[in-house]
Amino acid sequence: MAFFEAIRDRAVSTLNQVLDKKNPSGLTKDQLFCRQYSLPDYETVLNESAAEVEVVSDFTTDAYKGVSSSMGREQFPQGRIFLTQHFIVFRDAYDKKNCSFTIHLSTVKKVERLPAKDYGFALSIHTHSKLQVTLYLVGLRSESERFAQTLKITLKKNLPNVKKLSPFIHTCYSEYLLAKNNISSEKIESVPPSGLGQVFKFPGNPKESRDKSKMKLWFDLFRVDGRNLSLVKTPMFYRLVRVGLPNRLRGEIWELCCGSMFLRLDHQEEYKKILEDYGKRKSLATEEIEKDLNRSLPEYAAYQSPEGIERLRRVLTAYSWKNPEVGYCQAMNIVVAALLIYMSEEQAFWTLNVLCDRIVPGYYSKTMYGTLLDQRVFESLVQNTMPKLWDHITKNDIQLSVVSLPWFLSLYLSSMPLVFASRIIDVFFLQGPQTLFQVALAILKVNGEDLLKTEDDGSFISIIKDYFQVLDQSAHPNSPNPKYKSITKFQELLVTAFKEFSIVNEEMIDVHRNRHRDTIFQNISTFVKRTELRNLPKAKNISPETLSILYDRFYSIVQSYSVTMASGSSLMDFKAFKSFMSDICEWVKPETSTDPADDVFLHHLFSNWDSEGQAALSLSDLVVGLNKLIEPDLMTSMSNFFELYDFKHKGKIDREGILQISEDLLYVTGPWKDGLLYDDITVNAMENAVADEVYKANTSNGDDGAKKDEIALPSEVQIDKQKLESQQIERYLKGASTFIQRAFEYAQPEEEEILIKDLAIDNSISHNAALNPNTPVFLNLPTFRMVILADETYELLFSRTLRKSINLEKSLDSKVNTIRNLRDMFDGLLADGRKVANKVRRRMDSAASSALQVNNNNSNSDATSMKSGRSKTQEEEEEQDDDFGVISIDEKDKDLLLGAEAQVLIDPVSNEPAKNKELQRFHKAEQEAAAASASFKSGTKIDDANLIEFET
Amino acid sequence: MSFPNPATSVKLVLLGEAAVGKSSLVLRFVSNDFQENKEPTIGAAFLTQKCTIGERTIKYEIWDTAGQERFASLAPMYYRNAQAAIVVYDITKPASFIKARHWVKELHEQASKDITIALVGNKYDLVEDDNEEDGLRKVSVEEGKGLAEEEGLLFFETSAKTSYNVNDVFIGIGSKIPETNAGNGAAPADQTGGEGRIDLTSNSVAANRAGECAC
Repeated sequence: MAFFEAIRDRAVSTLNQVLDKKNPSGLTKDQLFCRQYSLPDYETVLNESAAEVEVVSDFTTDAYKGVSSSMGREQFPQGRIFLTQHFIVFRDAYDKKNCSFTIHLSTVKKVERLPAKDYGFALSIHTHSKLQVTLYLVGLRSESERFAQTLKITLKKNLPNVKKLSPFIHTCYSEYLLAKNNISSEKIESVPPSGLGQVFKFPGNPKESRDKSKMKLWFDLFRVDGRNLSLVKTPMFYRLVRVGLPNRLRGEIWELCCGSMFLRLDHQEEYKKILEDYGKRKSLATEEIEKDLNRSLPEYAAYQSPEGIERLRRVLTAYSWKNPEVGYCQAMNIVVAALLIYMSEEQAFWTLNVLCDRIVPGYYSKTMYGTLLDQRVFESLVQNTMPKLWDHITKNDIQLSVVSLPWFLSLYLSSMPLVFASRIIDVFFLQGPQTLFQVALAILKVNGEDLLKTEDDGSFISIIKDYFQVLDQSAHPNSPNPKYKSITKFQELLVTAFKEFSIVNEEMIDVHRNRHRDTIFQNISTFVKRTELRNLPKAKNISPETLSILYDRFYSIVQSYSVTMASGSSLMDFKAFKSFMSDICEWVKPETSTDPADDVFLHHLFSNWDSEGQAALSLSDLVVGLNKLIEPDLMTSMSNFFELYDFKHKGKIDREGILQISEDLLYVTGPWKDGLLYDDITVNAMENAVADEVYKANTSNGDDGAKKDEIALPSEVQIDKQKLESQQIERYLKGASTFIQRAFEYAQPEEEEILIKDLAIDNSISHNAALNPNTPVFLNLPTFRMVILADETYELLFSRTLRKSINLEKSLDSKVNTIRNLRDMFDGLLADGRKVANKVRRRMDSAASSALQVNNNNSNSDATSMKSGRSKTQEEEEEQDDDFGVISIDEKDKDLLLGAEAQVLIDPVSNEPAKNKELQRFHKAEQEAAAASASFKSGTKIDDANLIEFET
Repeated sequence: MSFPNPATSVKLVLLGEAAVGKSSLVLRFVSNDFQENKEPTIGAAFLTQKCTIGERTIKYEIWDTAGQERFASLAPMYYRNAQAAIVVYDITKPASFIKARHWVKELHEQASKDITIALVGNKYDLVEDDNEEDGLRKVSVEEGKGLAEEEGLLFFETSAKTSYNVNDVFIGIGSKIPETNAGNGAAPADQTGGEGRIDLTSNSVAANRAGECAC
C-alpha cells in the first residue's frame, strides 16, 4: 500500500515539476483547487454551488465573534461551496479572509434539511466540534437537490474513514485543551505527542511573547469557530496567526495551515511503516544526513541530546525514503530541527512532505532549480521595488544571493534567532512562499540607508548579520513616545514586510518566475551537462564537441529525461536505442521498420554495451560502445567487432557466432549492398570515370591540355553510373558469401590449435571438413581478421566504410535524410571538383609526357590514361593480396573466390538478374552452413532459429 | 600591526565535498578558532582576512561554498571572477579526492584563465599517528602531489583542527598571485616558480607565519 502510494506521490510530484517547468498554470482545475485550499492532491470537486453560510456554535455569544446569528442574515458571508471526496469547502466570494472553511466529512455528525424560508434550499451541518453550519444554497432548486444528493452519497462513502477520527484528534493539542477544560465531549486523558520544546523549553521567553494570553485567545476561537478538521477561518484566525502562535499550539496550526494535517489523517500508519520497512538501511541520503545530524541547530539543548538527534534522524531519513527524488538536501536539517521543536515526529514528517512537494518545490531537489529561480526572482523584485539600492548593488558587484539564499532555503531559521524565525514561519505556512519574499525585501528596505553606504560584499553582509542580532531592540530608541519606543525592530520588519510589500503576492511572483524560468533551466542544464560529460569514461575517437551532441541526442530521446531528475540517472531502453541509432547510422532501418530481423544486430550491440545488465544503456555505456564502433584503426576495429561475438571472452567464436556475424555483416552492409550508398572504392571509380570523360572532352576540343592551368569542369558528365553501382553491389554480395565460406573453411577444430600457415598448405583440412557438424569449430581473432582482410570490400568496411556511416556529429535538429541522396553525392563530385580536377590533371600530365615520346595522338593518350587508371586499382588489389600473403589460394578455392566470374556476371544494362543470381548463391552457401549446423547435435535449437531466418 | 602598502584584494573561493572542512579552514584562518560541530554552509558564506607576505598585504575575500553535491550548480555564482581557489578534500575519504579532481577540472574549464588553485588535503590531525598500514589515511601524499603537478596546482596537507599548515595555504596562494596593483611594485618576484609549492611542514614555522597573518 505504502509502496503504491509512494509511487503515486512521486508520479504526482514529478508531474507537477514537469508541469511547473513547462507550463506553470498547466495544473488541472482540481489540482489548482487543492493547492488553493491546501487539500491533498487526490481530492476532486464533486459538486459546487453558490451559497450563503451561517455558522453557529454553542458559544457564539462570545464577545469578539464577527459572524453570528444575532447580526442578521444580510451579514452572512456569501460565496461558493465545494464538495470533494472528503471535504466541504467554502470561501467568501469577496474576501477569503472574511470567512472560509475546510470541514472534513469525518467530522460531520449530522446533516439536516431545513424547512425553506425565503431561501429555497437550506442544509444544516452539525460537526464534531459542535459547530452548526447552515448552507443556504443559491440557484436552481434542481441543482441544489443534486448538491444535497451528492453530499449524502459522499458522506456514506466516507463512513469507513470516520473511525480514523477519534485516534487522530487525540493527537491534536486543541482537542486536549478543550477536553481538559470540559468543553469537549471527548475524553482525552493523555497529553498528545508534542515537540521537543515541551521537554527542552521553547526558544525565547514565554512571558515576553505573552504565550498564556495568546493561548486563551485560541481557546476562545476553538470554542466558537471549531478546530483542526472542522474549523471556520474568520479574520480573527488570521490576526491570531500574525501576532505569533503560542508555542504549544504552533505545530498544530502550522500543519493545519499548510494542509499536512490532512495527509497525516489519511496516512496514519505510514510514517511508522517507512521507518520499520527501511530500518537501518543505508543510502547516499542517509550518509549525508548522518554528516549533518550534529550540525543542526547545535546550540539548541535538544540537539545536544540523543533524544533530539534521534527524532531528527528519523524524520529526515523517513522523508529521504519516501521521496528519493529529493532525498536529503542540506538546510532541510535545519528546517526539520526547527519543526521538531514545535511538532511531533509525524507532524514534522508530513509537513516536510508538503513543504518540499508543494510549497517550495525545487528548493531542495537535486538541481535546486527552485532555489536558483527564486533567487533570480528576488533580485528582480529588488530591482523593481528598490531601484536605487539595486543600482548600488550592481555597481559594486555585490552578490545579493550570498545573503538571501540561506534566508529562503532555510526559511530564515539559520539567519535569525529562532524566536523570530518561527514567527515568520507562522505566516509562511498561512500565506505561502510570498512571505519569504516580503520579509527579504523588508530586510533590505529597513537597512536600506546603511546598505547604500557599503562598497563590497563583506560590509553588506555584516550589516545584515548585525541587524539580525538586534531584532529585539527598539526600532525607535530615541522616540519620546513610549508606545513608539516599545516597537521592536522585528515588529517593524513584519509591518514593512506585510504592509509595504503586500503587493508582492503570489501572482506577481508567478509572473517573475515565468519570466526567468527558461534562463534558469538553461543554466542548470548547461551545468548538469558539463558535469556529466566530464564524468564520462574517456573516448578517444569522439571529440568533446561530438560528445556534447551525443549528450543532447541521448537526452532528447530518453523521454523521461527532465532537468529535475538526478544527472546520470536516465537510461535508454532498446526502443530508444533503436531510435537513437537510426538517427545516426545509415545502415539502421528507420524506427518504423517492424521486421524483427532488422533488430538482431542492434539487440546484439545493445546487450553488449549494457554494462550493468539492466536492459538499459546509460550515456556512458553508449559512449563506450560507439567509441569502439567507430574505431579508426583497422586491426582494433576488427577485434572490437570480434569481441561483440566472443560472449565468453575466450577469444573464440563458435559455429552459431560465425553464422550470426555473417548475418549481421550482411545487415550492416545493407545500404551498399542495395546500391543506396557508395563506398570509397566506388567513389574512386566514379571519379576516375568522370576524369576520363572530362579529359576526353577537353582534349577533343582541341585544347592543349598540358598548357592549361585551370581545368574547367563541365556542369554535367555522362558516365556509366549504373555499371559502377552494380559493380559495388557485386562486391558486397561477393564479400558476404566469401566471408561465410572462408570463415568455416578456416575455422579451427575445438581440440587442436592449427597455425594459419599450415592451413594454406594442408589440403587435408578442407572447408568440407570444417562444415562437418560433428567437428565443433571456432573462429579466433587472427582467423577472423584474416578472413576480413581477404576481401577488399570488407577490409574497407572495417577501416572506413562502417565508421563513416555513423554520423555522430550530425546535429540534433538536422532533418536531412540519413541515407544521403545518391544523386547529390554524384553531383558533389563535380561541385567539389578538386579531386576530379586533380585526376584530370594527372591524365593530362601523363598524356603530355607520353606526347613527348609518341606523336600527339588523342586516342592513344586516352587509352594510356584509362589504362593507368585501371592499373592503379589493380595495384591496390595486389596490395590487399600482399596483406594476407600467407594464404595461397589453391585450385579448390578458386570457385569460391568469385573475382573473375563476377566480372562476367555483371550486366551493365540490368543488374537485377545478376543480383538475384548472386543472392541465390549466397543463400545457398548460407543454407549449406546452416544445414550443417542444424544437424549438429549440440545446439539444434539455435540452429533452427537461424534456419528460419535464412529462409525468409 | 600596520600595513605599509594598501592591501590588494583577492577573491578566493573554497570548493570541495561536504564535511571535508572548508568552513573550518576558513574559520581557522580568519579567527584562529575551531568548532567541532559546525553548521553546514547553506549556499555560501563570505569572510575577509588580511594577510601580509613580505612587503605585500593581501586582503582575501573568501567565498566559502556549500559542499553537498546538489549545491554544485550554485558554485558558478561564487567562483565567477575569483583569482584564487582552494579545492579541499579529506585525506581519510577517497571519494572526496575524486570530487576534488572534478572541481579542479571545472575551475580550469569555467573560471578565470589565470586563477591560482591550491589543492588541500585536510584533516591531517586524524592521520598524524597513523602507522604504515591500516591507518585512517586513504589518500596518500603522492596522490595529492600527483594531481597537483598534473594540473599545475599548489599542494598542501592541513589540519584545521590543529591549525597545521593552514596559514601556509593562504601565504602560498598570496605569493603566486600576480601583482596587479602597480603601486605595489615590490612583489617577491614569484619565484617559488614552477615548483610553486611551499611545503612548510613544521608546525613552528606555520605558527610563525600565522603571526604575520593576523589583523
